[in-house]
Amino acid sequence: MIELTGVVKNYGSLVAVDHVDLSITGGQRTVIIGPSGSGKTTLLRMVNFLEKIDDGTILIDGREAGYRRDRKGRLVMEKPDVICKLRSEIGMVFQHFHLFPHMTALNNVMEGPITVKKESREDARKTALDLLGKVGLLDKKDVYPAFLSGGQKQRVAIARALAMRPRLMLFDEPTSALDPELVGEVFSTIKSLAQEGMTMVIVTHQMGFAREMADRVIFMDNGRFIFEGTPLDVFSSQMENPRVKAFLDKVL
Amino acid sequence: MVRRRYHQLEITGVRLGVCACTLSLLVLFLLCPWSLEAEPDGYDLLLKATQALREGDLDRALHLYQQVPPPQEGQEGGAFVRSRMEAARIFFSRQEFESSASMCREVLEVFPDNLEAKNLLRQAEVSQIPQWLRFLKDMKTYLPTLLKASGMTLILVLITMIVSPTAGLFIALGRISRMKMLSAIFWFYIWIFRGTPLLLQLFFIYYGLPQLGLTLSPFTAAILGLGLNYSAYLAEIIRGAIESIDAGQMEAAKAIGMSYWQAMRRIIVPQTYKRLVPPVGNEFIALIKDTALVSTIAMVELMRAADQIFNATFNIFVLMQAAIIYLVLTSIFTVTFRKIEDRLGVYENR
Ligand SMILES: Nc1ncnc2c1ncn2[C@@H]1O[C@H](COP(=O)(O)OP(=O)(O)O)[C@@H](O)[C@H]1O
Ligand SMILES: [Mg+2]
Repeated sequence: MIELTGVVKNYGSLVAVDHVDLSITGGQRTVIIGPSGSGKTTLLRMVNFLEKIDDGTILIDGREAGYRRDRKGRLVMEKPDVICKLRSEIGMVFQHFHLFPHMTALNNVMEGPITVKKESREDARKTALDLLGKVGLLDKKDVYPAFLSGGQKQRVAIARALAMRPRLMLFDEPTSALDPELVGEVFSTIKSLAQEGMTMVIVTHQMGFAREMADRVIFMDNGRFIFEGTPLDVFSSQMENPRVKAFLDKVL
Repeated sequence: MVRRRYHQLEITGVRLGVCACTLSLLVLFLLCPWSLEAEPDGYDLLLKATQALREGDLDRALHLYQQVPPPQEGQEGGAFVRSRMEAARIFFSRQEFESSASMCREVLEVFPDNLEAKNLLRQAEVSQIPQWLRFLKDMKTYLPTLLKASGMTLILVLITMIVSPTAGLFIALGRISRMKMLSAIFWFYIWIFRGTPLLLQLFFIYYGLPQLGLTLSPFTAAILGLGLNYSAYLAEIIRGAIESIDAGQMEAAKAIGMSYWQAMRRIIVPQTYKRLVPPVGNEFIALIKDTALVSTIAMVELMRAADQIFNATFNIFVLMQAAIIYLVLTSIFTVTFRKIEDRLGVYENR
């Protein structure tokens, strides 16, 4: 469905993502783990065109998407309307939720369909109520984000992303900002999404969740994929790679 | 020789003239002998007083004037009236309003219809009131003028209050946009209008532009000056507010497919409203006071009206009255802005 080949992101002299190949097929659940600063967020942001790649290609459904080369051969991003269209088909959930604080939970979820998809208010409202029900927050529909708990905020954020009917969901440490007792409710929301067959890429430090959810686990370090395999491979006691081992020893 | 003879002739002429005058006066006296007989004392005193006045002895003159007796039955009383009124005027000019009034009253006792006495008495009575009380009484007279003028102040404030936030928002968006040229132009505009005195800007627009072929009415010039100046200030305030919104908001908006401008309109700018109220409220309160500056370009508003009355009357209470009107306006604004801020904050957890 989406395929990144040789993507590079530099911040000055720092190489945040270093020639990474990532292929995501429909219905697949990819979990990315790795120490902080290894480029996981940057990678997700590139998948969603929030970050311009410095080199490489992104294919969507087999066609190059989002970039073209100018006369000097440099990569340039496509016009904003093209990029917006691409982004609207990919949902993203952030570590710090980034709910719109001036809108109620319901309006947060309705915002995308109304402003971006130009849906009618009634249609958008029906979808939004449906989604809030799914994440178990129907009773909070008229509450502003400031009055929600962290777990509730993240579930509204998931509903907000789902309202755009994305083909792919990106989760960037969705539970890292939550109190431990609130992690479960967000995970079970993500799990129920997985059961519906949603394609997703999840960055997380929760190894139990990774093991339970993932079709495959990618270990990232210093902007590169160090190891890629099934949860069984990664979490097995026969793990050979010393860096993965060191990391797992630390977090487990 | 010839000259001397002329001189002598002249002297003879003068002498002849004096003789003629004396003669005619004598004839006059002979023709009406009763006038001298009827009130000899009165006129005598009056003359003596006039003499004293001429010599600069004011107190003696006053004393003599007051000696002139009231007219007896059948007398005409001209000397009495003249002496008392003369005394009343002297007292008045010495600011001794009590004595002046009593002189007038003496005349009015005998001649209740004497217009001159009536007028002076009224003036003396009014002047007897302490100055501050008189000023306070005057204020009632000037209040309508001041209120009418503060209507103009309010119009200037309201128009600027609509124009400058609107223009300021567009300028702020231009400043932070990636359009380099637009951003540079607005930077220059803000640099000019925040870096020079409003008074100078008003002078330039009203007195300077006509020399460049553009003549504006005082009202247009005032609106233009205040609008340009305040738009520059508000643009910077609004820009600051936009830049203070967490970058994650723009990220999240883009992540659901919004364009930059959609995100600005729907997500970023609405979140600045509450943050904007306190600084913008301060600007509007400054604006109320700054409208006083347009009095220098022939706009009749509260400050100018107060100034005009003050220059004519030196009544400091008029200035105080203007101050009170300004205070009422600024206070209303302060309270209103606090209310608006509270209402805009409903989505915040406090
Ligand atoms: N906007 C940025 N400017 C400069 N450096 C950045 C920026 N974003 C990320 N980086 C750097 O890129 C590297 C990868 O960051 P990130 O993708 O956030 O890592 P992770 O999400 O795995 O913790 C880090 O060293 C980080 O400091
Ligand atoms: Mg990260």
